[in-house]
Amino acid sequence: MKTMLKLLKRYWYFAILAAGFMIAEVYVDLYQPRMMEKIVNNGILGLDNNGVSDISLVVSVGIRMLIVVIAGGLCGILSGVFANVTGQNYGNDVRKTCFKRIMNFSFEQTDDFSTGSLITRITNDVSQVQQLVMQMIRGFVRCLMFFIGGTTALLSLDLSFGAIVACAFPLILIDVIFVVWKTNPLFTVLQESLDKLNGIIQENVAGVRVVKAFVQEKSESKKFDDANRHLVNTQFNVQMMMSFLRPVMNIVLNIAVVGIIYVGSVQVQQGSIAPGTVMAAVTYISQILNGMMMLAMIFQTLSRGLTSARRLGEVIDTEPDIKRLENASGKEGSYAKTGKEGKDAKTGKEGSYAKTGKEGKDTKTGGKNEDAYKAAGKAKGTVSFKDVSFVYADNGKEVLHDINLDIAGGETLAIIGSTGSGKSTLVNLIPRFYDVAQGSVKVDGVDVREYEPDELRDKVTMCLQKSELFSTTIIDNIAIGRPDATQEEISAAARAAQAEDFILEQPDGYDTAVAERGMSLSGGQRQRIAIARALLKRSEILIFDDSTSALDLKTEARLYEALNAGYSDVTKIIIAQRIASVKNADRIVVLDAGTIAAVGTHDALLKTSPVYRDIYDSQLKQEGEQS
Amino acid sequence: MSDTQVKSSVAQQGFARRRGMGAPVEKPKDGKRTLRRLVGYFKPEVKYVAALAAVVVIAVVASVTAPSMLSRAINHLVEGSFSKIPWVLAIMLAVYIIHGAATLLQGFFSARLSQRVIYRLRSELFGRVINLPVPYIDNHSHGDIMSRMTNDAENVSTVISQSLSSLFSGVLMLIGTVAVMLSYSVPLTLLTFTTVILSVVVTRVMSKLMRRYYLKRQKLLGQLNGIVEEKVTATKTVTAYNLQERTIEEFSEASDELTRAGIIADIIGNAMGPLMNMLNNLSFVIVAAFGAWFALRGMISVGVISAFVIYSKQFSRPINELAQLYGQIETAVAGAERIFDIMDTPEEDKSGEKVLPITEGVIEFKNVNFSYVPGKQVIYDFNLRVEAGKKIALVGSTGSGKTTIVNLLMRFYDIDSGSITVDGENIKDISCDVLRDSIGIVLQDTVLFTDTVRANLKYADSTISDKKMIEAAESANCDKVVAVLSDGYDTVLTAAGANLSQGQRQLLTIGRAFLSYPKILILDEATSSVDTRTEKHIQNAMIELMKDRTSLIIAHRLSTIQDADQIVVMDKGHIIETGTHDELLKLKGNYYKLYMTQFAGNAT
Repeated sequence: MKTMLKLLKRYWYFAILAAGFMIAEVYVDLYQPRMMEKIVNNGILGLDNNGVSDISLVVSVGIRMLIVVIAGGLCGILSGVFANVTGQNYGNDVRKTCFKRIMNFSFEQTDDFSTGSLITRITNDVSQVQQLVMQMIRGFVRCLMFFIGGTTALLSLDLSFGAIVACAFPLILIDVIFVVWKTNPLFTVLQESLDKLNGIIQENVAGVRVVKAFVQEKSESKKFDDANRHLVNTQFNVQMMMSFLRPVMNIVLNIAVVGIIYVGSVQVQQGSIAPGTVMAAVTYISQILNGMMMLAMIFQTLSRGLTSARRLGEVIDTEPDIKRLENASGKEGSYAKTGKEGKDAKTGKEGSYAKTGKEGKDTKTGGKNEDAYKAAGKAKGTVSFKDVSFVYADNGKEVLHDINLDIAGGETLAIIGSTGSGKSTLVNLIPRFYDVAQGSVKVDGVDVREYEPDELRDKVTMCLQKSELFSTTIIDNIAIGRPDATQEEISAAARAAQAEDFILEQPDGYDTAVAERGMSLSGGQRQRIAIARALLKRSEILIFDDSTSALDLKTEARLYEALNAGYSDVTKIIIAQRIASVKNADRIVVLDAGTIAAVGTHDALLKTSPVYRDIYDSQLKQEGEQS
Repeated sequence: MSDTQVKSSVAQQGFARRRGMGAPVEKPKDGKRTLRRLVGYFKPEVKYVAALAAVVVIAVVASVTAPSMLSRAINHLVEGSFSKIPWVLAIMLAVYIIHGAATLLQGFFSARLSQRVIYRLRSELFGRVINLPVPYIDNHSHGDIMSRMTNDAENVSTVISQSLSSLFSGVLMLIGTVAVMLSYSVPLTLLTFTTVILSVVVTRVMSKLMRRYYLKRQKLLGQLNGIVEEKVTATKTVTAYNLQERTIEEFSEASDELTRAGIIADIIGNAMGPLMNMLNNLSFVIVAAFGAWFALRGMISVGVISAFVIYSKQFSRPINELAQLYGQIETAVAGAERIFDIMDTPEEDKSGEKVLPITEGVIEFKNVNFSYVPGKQVIYDFNLRVEAGKKIALVGSTGSGKTTIVNLLMRFYDIDSGSITVDGENIKDISCDVLRDSIGIVLQDTVLFTDTVRANLKYADSTISDKKMIEAAESANCDKVVAVLSDGYDTVLTAAGANLSQGQRQLLTIGRAFLSYPKILILDEATSSVDTRTEKHIQNAMIELMKDRTSLIIAHRLSTIQDADQIVVMDKGHIIETGTHDELLKLKGNYYKLYMTQFAGNAT
């Protein structure tokens, strides 16, 4: 919430301008009845002229009035301009800040919020808050002015009218507070039930085949019906609460009008005030009434807007789990600078080992920095797990236990193990998608927590289990990790990933647009594009997290061949299910229930590891029987 | 990417999750018809409509009478007839209280009415969506369908709830005021109309301008939402490739552009108020000047002028309101049009008279031809007979048509020619629900619902006992998955499936299929992310479970299907080889090659 306010401060001068012009507009609005009065009293009724209308006065005052009104209108428009500039720019800033935050969230944090909710927040809630700011600047100032102006004018007429306002005001205040207090929690409920309803629709549209295959149309409709009814009831309650606001206010203020006339009549009778004063008082009280009415409208926006602001504040105030390093200068070497500085550091190499990122890539293609690494006494592309344990924050279940593993640079290491044995979690620790609970993971001899996250992730490229493609061209999808890559490099990566053939078959070859979320391509094709993307990055460490599952066997075999031929200096960590995928690896790690059951070559494991033998048998038994 | 291309590939893909760019604001194509249809939704609510109308009439009458009471009170005050004042005030008070009560009831009735209507509209729409044919959902952006169900329905609801009574009371006010004005002075009324015409013209021009910028803003908003959705959903890739900076930059650009367009659009929108205010005052000056002139000529009394001043103000307010409402209603009607568009889509053809349960599970494909897009055939003259209780495997490279066979058997898509029979009955003649009830299906893309594990497993039938559920969970090896969840079977799964791996999700979907006790079980790449040992366990369990049931298995991993009774090798929509594992190996054809690639050099 604090950050939300801080962001607003940036536009205070626009807000002030908007408020200023609004005050001017209100002033004109308050002044204009007097000119009207003059037109009516002196011009039309001719009170100064023995009851004879004076058209010239009507016209001259009328023209003056029009000029004033136009000036007021301009002020109103300008006030709108500045309020818009404030609100929209503020909304823009909030939106960008939120988005930036989300982009830096850890996977756990994203999961906690759920992507759906994050999307609603950044789209819906931002516009609600934007609306709130604009309303507050213009509407609040406007009704406050009407209120203050009207009240002072009223009090200046006769203090006894003040007593009536003093009676009416708390009643209205109670009304407003009551409604706001009652509706505020309802808005949260409303938002939740809306989210729920949308969730059901989304699941049913996306999972249409499952719903139909299980013939659950009726039960889904029932589920929807419940959610729909709940939403409608909540909405009804909100509207009911809201509709209390105006009539009650109206009644109170109209009673005040009656009161003023009554009090006025008594005083006129006593001769202490003139009838005109009572008329003026009625005018002013209706101005106060107008201000109050607007206030009621504003409170509607306020309740909604504040709920949204809170939801956005939650995002903005969530500190990313995985932070950039702070005061990195204290650390040995210069590989740990913060922010932009860190990036600059990469271009200026000091013999020490501040050269991952772009330079790391140069190293591999040119090999000229090989010596520097050796000089630093550490081989590039090494990964070492020391006493690593990992626990999922939300259920406290230990997924990895006491893992010790050293992976040499350029090694091909395969990981095999049953579903839920922690394979994915293990490799996710290397690029620091998650942090270890205990122990340490080192890349090139340095704890992953001592790297800048982006520096680390330049060293380590992970090909994910689920290939997420963006809605752009194939070539852009491959080059996301290296936008500066040449066509030749891209082709080479695509060839190695066994993707070039089908890419060239697409209508526009590499420039073919990938339809929404890659749906124009088959699962296997998507995976190969994702693999090409990973290969193109040419990081020191390449991780395949079961990312060849949709490839048919021939293709997968060719891919591994290409990997061994063209990427021999890259450390490759491969998670796979098929023995055929892992058997040619330098070493195979057998993971079982979060611990390393065995490590060794295919042949060695067949002899020594019952688990591995078991896996092998599960895939080859029949073949064995046969031969 | 043409629509047809998307269609063919999307359909083959099975589950398609697609992103809509946010529908831009548009003018309704046939506003009148849509409006009439929308009005039709109010017909069952006649009681509420009548009550609302009555209350609005009372409120309007009260708000018209109150000022006259006020002026009478003031007159008495001026005349000095103080004794009459308390009476007038008492009446006034009564009128105000009636007015207050009437507006309160108005709020109540309009809320009730709108919620009832929107409830029915939404329910009906969902009922339609859930029964839409699979091809429709495959071929339309999910984002678009979603937006119709949520945004458009919400829009219609808001307009109904907020504008309905304003519209009604606005029109009434207008009629009432015009009638009173005309009774006072026809020429002055006509003069007042000149400014009305002026304000209508201004509204027209402004809203044209507004529409242009709102359209632009809407388009940019759609783009921005597209970026948000794509990038937030793919946050893993963004992080893995260090794309944060670039993505943030891309987003900022889109966001800035939206802000620029938004500022212009809203400035125009906000200028409406002051402009209307100016016109009102112009109207006042005109009435005053001409009124005075008429009064000098003795055509009207002076009192009429002051009455006119009040009434012309009262008159212009509903006009402004109606002008504003017009835009809202237009958007809502456009939204309603999109909603009706879905409602008018024919429901899935579930025809089929025979409701007899499938007892054998004999499947036969005869000369089946099929194409998703005319001219692009994907299945050619497909002939296959699966005997009851047998295990059949479909293998072949991606795009060979395996999943299409599943789509056809489930009647997600209808064949072009030939026939598919189950137990000798053409599937077109079997009730669709019975057919699907008898077939259990597990897909590669694991769809689980935001609900407890229990509800997900018991998806086919919530009345199944826990004992049976646990048995099935054990068979599918998902009992181990459940064991690590914090609340066991009562853990609520999120759609994103936070801490479940793909393999674990697959196990749950297998358990779900087991629990439907199908006569025919289809596993489409159902164990691709499950390790082979677990798979073996599942298979062993399946042997027991599927003893007298037919199963159809699609898999890349040959280990999955080795023990199948019959293996069908497909290529580009044709069957190229069939036989058992041993037979196919002896044949030394495509299957043999495939097999050798997987196990080359493995046998020690």
